[in-house]
Amino acid sequence: MLVCLVLCGKLTAVDAAPLCTNAQAGCHVLSLANLFDRVIQHSARMHGISNDLHSEFELYFLPSKNQIGRVSRNCHTSSILTPNGKENAQRMAREELTEVILKLLVAWRDPLWHFHQSMAHHHDFNNFSSNKSLEMSDMVHELRKGVQKVVEKMQMLGIISNSVSNLASPEALLASDSAEWRLMKDYDLLYCFRRDSNKVQNYLKILKCRIVPEHGC
Amino acid sequence: MMKKFGEVILLLLLLLLFFVPHAEGTRYSLPGKPALTRCRSPEKETFTCWWEPGSDGGLPTTYALYYRKENSETVYECPDYHTAGKNSCFFNKNDTSIWVNYNITVVASNALGSTFSDPVDIDVVYIVKPNPPEKVAVTVMEDKGWPFLRVSWEPPHKADTRSGWITLIYELRVKLDGENEWEMHLAGQQKMFNIFSLRSGGRYLVQVRCKPDHGFWSEWSSASHIKVPDYFHRERSVWILITVFFAFIFLIVSWCIHINSHSLKHCILPPVPGPKIRGFDKQLLKNGKSEDIFSALVVSDFPPTSSSNYEDLLVEYLEVYIPEEQELILEESKDLHDGCLKPKGSTFDSDSGRGSCDSHTLLMDKCGEAKDDEQQTDQDGSQTGSEAQRQQAAWEQEALTYAHEDMISPDMSSGRVKTWPSVFSPLPQYSLSPLSQPSSLETAKQHCLSDSLFPPASLSSYLTQPGQSTKEALRSSYSDFCSSNKQPHLLHPQPDARHHLQAHSDVNISSIGHKEAPAGLQLPTVQSTEYVEVHTVNEDDMVLLHPVPSGHSHGKGCLQMHQGEDYSKVNGVDKNNVLLLQRDVIEEQVDMCPCENQDMNGATESCCTSAQKSIPCIHTTLPVQEEKAVNGYVDTATMFPLPIH
Repeated sequence: MLVCLVLCGKLTAVDAAPLCTNAQAGCHVLSLANLFDRVIQHSARMHGISNDLHSEFELYFLPSKNQIGRVSRNCHTSSILTPNGKENAQRMAREELTEVILKLLVAWRDPLWHFHQSMAHHHDFNNFSSNKSLEMSDMVHELRKGVQKVVEKMQMLGIISNSVSNLASPEALLASDSAEWRLMKDYDLLYCFRRDSNKVQNYLKILKCRIVPEHGC
Repeated sequence: MMKKFGEVILLLLLLLLFFVPHAEGTRYSLPGKPALTRCRSPEKETFTCWWEPGSDGGLPTTYALYYRKENSETVYECPDYHTAGKNSCFFNKNDTSIWVNYNITVVASNALGSTFSDPVDIDVVYIVKPNPPEKVAVTVMEDKGWPFLRVSWEPPHKADTRSGWITLIYELRVKLDGENEWEMHLAGQQKMFNIFSLRSGGRYLVQVRCKPDHGFWSEWSSASHIKVPDYFHRERSVWILITVFFAFIFLIVSWCIHINSHSLKHCILPPVPGPKIRGFDKQLLKNGKSEDIFSALVVSDFPPTSSSNYEDLLVEYLEVYIPEEQELILEESKDLHDGCLKPKGSTFDSDSGRGSCDSHTLLMDKCGEAKDDEQQTDQDGSQTGSEAQRQQAAWEQEALTYAHEDMISPDMSSGRVKTWPSVFSPLPQYSLSPLSQPSSLETAKQHCLSDSLFPPASLSSYLTQPGQSTKEALRSSYSDFCSSNKQPHLLHPQPDARHHLQAHSDVNISSIGHKEAPAGLQLPTVQSTEYVEVHTVNEDDMVLLHPVPSGHSHGKGCLQMHQGEDYSKVNGVDKNNVLLLQRDVIEEQVDMCPCENQDMNGATESCCTSAQKSIPCIHTTLPVQEEKAVNGYVDTATMFPLPIH
């Protein structure tokens, strides 16, 4: 976990550094492939944490696994259309895919924050879980920023069109989904987020291998 | 006919059909509950589910799989029951949706009814188990002389890693052919790996497997064999050199030790000093013959036979009781005694701790020195002293000659030497020449001093004694000494001796009056036929005599005197070393009886007085003795062999 913190710290530090769009002198320019790698690693880390939290919840609070079935229908992000297969994902345009990623990341920022708040108040959970929820919440936020930077890079490079810029304002997205997630229980929330983080990671990989297939594809 | 036969057969078959289940028992029941064992997706695009059928229920049972997708109530049946084998359901790409929850149920049905299994929820993303990696290639490559293995592989062909749909991580394991333990290596996402630290000439097995981000490990790929060629180990050459070098040094060191083994042995393990028994031959012990050992022990030094031990005995038997003031003097004399006791030619080893008087000349010198000192301290008279000196010198010479002779002739005849101690040797000489009287005095003195055995050398030492300052005291001491030693009778002829000496010699022996006494002591043994007792007989058949105690011998003497018989003469020595005394008839009778009535000390004087009368007897007896000397007396000095009886 410490390694992850360090890694996240590094990533956040990287994100904090200004991205030189104008190729100014003395500015360290990151390649798109590099950006993609960083983002993908970040999303992998995020998915790992969500997986751990979900397992913990399943172990302590839900002895029966049969309850999964009724949970899966209440994810607040189910309205977002996401490709459910490889072909579907490959058929989707880059911009669409990028939008989906961003939508997902945006959709989870507030719920995770509130989830963390509720976990902190509930002394039933140990510190480990509480720290993870906080970390998860932060990661979503940072990942979104990172993806946004990638999009900007791509747009700069002319890989994707500028239609994605519409998603810069997350408030527009949240407005429609704001009510649903409050009805979710903690476990359902974790379950849904685990799946969505997996989607994000996978979509990012697909994007990377489609746009910059040099390494790891 | 045939028709009827066929009908009968059919009937029989039907009956059998009915009866067979009837024979088993009426166990028709619903089929047992099936259970989904597992569902797996090899590439995250298709998946397969397997189930375990329950009990049969006695009737043919059919199985069906039904599933429902998330957020839909539509129930679909398994599209493919055969592709994946028996009791399985294969979902192809069209039927597979990722990130969608499947609710799967298996139904077993027979003629009686159906049984539903427990529903299982699965998400394909989490049930991915890829196929093993393909095209595993292992090659031996070299890096600066050191070989290493390069393993390369490819992802399973079904898994789409190129599009990024699946991300696989790999793991490989290596082991030597024949061993049991594998060496694991995690390769990550790379499709190539290097293995170092190989054994020269070893045969290795390599296997690879893979796993998606969140899923199950694949099976191990088939083992790839590779043989590492033999190569020369640079490290080993250095070790070989070092080994050779140290072996060489070791050889040198061992050679040096071998050469110096003897001295080293002495240094580390000093030899234990062996037993030292004087005159004992260690070789006898080593030989191991007990008889020889015992004979050696018996024969050699104990009891002492050589004349060297002669002196030991002399010292041993020296029972001296003297007044306290004379103790020192006697001790001195004893020391001189010891000092001059060393016979010439005797072999003493260093352990004996003997003194320095080893040689004849040394003996003389020492005794002469002592004598000189004594003479200087002589108080009586210079003239007489000088004369006495001369006489002493002469006597000393004679004593020494006696000593020599005694030394030389320890054994006269074959084993039957009847040798009187040298003390008595001068007796015949005394009879022969009057001058020899003083020597007899000396010898008598010696006799007085030492109880039984007198080594010849003691004569000279004795000579020194009169030189002491307290001569008178000595004289008295001597008398006392002699009396205590049961030799009182020896004393009483003192006056006789004195007179005799004065009568026979011009030498004024007043200065040596001390000597007179013992000398005089000697005389009565001659005149009055003093009887002696055999004290001991040493191994050389030397008879050690001491005079018989006063009362007894005196009486004897007196009686004998009266009777006229004389037993002072030794006829011979028996085989058993027994002295055979000869009965002699004395012509003159000397009345010695009054001496009987006196006590020891007093008897001396009275005897002395009586002895005076018997002086003439001495004269007379002398010739008798002279005559008899040839026959009766054992005399080593004269070398008279005795007739053996």
